[in-house]
Amino acid sequence: MSGVIAGGWEYVIAAYVATAVALGGYAASVFLRYRNERNRAAVEAGRDSTQ
Amino acid sequence: MSAVSRGPAPKLLVALGAVLLCAGSYWGLAKAPGEVFMGDVQRIMYVHVPTAWNAMLALTFAFVCAVFFLFTNSWKWDNRLEAAMEVGVLLSFLLCTQGAIWAKPTWGVWWDWDPRLTTTAVMVFAFGGILALRAFVDDPMKRAVWSSVACIVAFADVPIVYFSVKWWNSLHQSQSTPETVSKAFHWPLRINAFGILFLWIGLVMLRSRLAALRLQSEIAPPLPERPRRAGADTPASGSAW
Repeated sequence: MSGVIAGGWEYVIAAYVATAVALGGYAASVFLRYRNERNRAAVEAGRDSTQ
Repeated sequence: MSAVSRGPAPKLLVALGAVLLCAGSYWGLAKAPGEVFMGDVQRIMYVHVPTAWNAMLALTFAFVCAVFFLFTNSWKWDNRLEAAMEVGVLLSFLLCTQGAIWAKPTWGVWWDWDPRLTTTAVMVFAFGGILALRAFVDDPMKRAVWSSVACIVAFADVPIVYFSVKWWNSLHQSQSTPETVSKAFHWPLRINAFGILFLWIGLVMLRSRLAALRLQSEIAPPLPERPRRAGADTPASGSAW
């Protein structure tokens, strides 16, 4: 046994995919939640002004 | 409460962070040489180490927000606290996942209860628990004060995570910094570190705007009664109005 790790690209790809999924997924969720909340606030503001 | 700002800075920061992260990852995967003993598996370092630095930075920022909230009672610090904790927990969880993927080919196990890994797991559960606590408290002021105090207490674990590899005999290697790794690995490591830094700052800014909008609707005064039409049905119960 040489003590040198051969191959292992499947682990490298798994780590990068996990990173992309976690960061990309979270970013998308923040953008969507922010857009929905802003639309809801705009609707409520419009309703308040008609009262 | 002040109006929620709507400038483009968070989106620009997120876009810049994503571009840097893609460039750094390409460099780390395709251009940088493999390590002498770990070979290609070492390329996980280019995302794992920047994630670790930035997870601790995000949680340190959460700690700063908690202290500022308790001193100023300004809601903007509570919004930032919520955002920074959420991003910090995400990065810490991602850190554990990347670490487990790296541990399997190098240590032969996915997980080991070594000091670095154990203290990191405690960090994830402590801050994750505070986020859960926030979801269960309806009163905004109680929620802000309790989570600020809990964040300050939980933050005690962050320096322990950082120094755990120095203080105890750990299976985990010592801290990776530009001084402790080969010069050939510097650039992808730095580019990814700045990529994740810009990404999380942009996301914290956007997430705190979201928290501000939710808080605005939560503490808004109740709408006035709708004027009743003459002859409309009177409510079955309640006042004569």
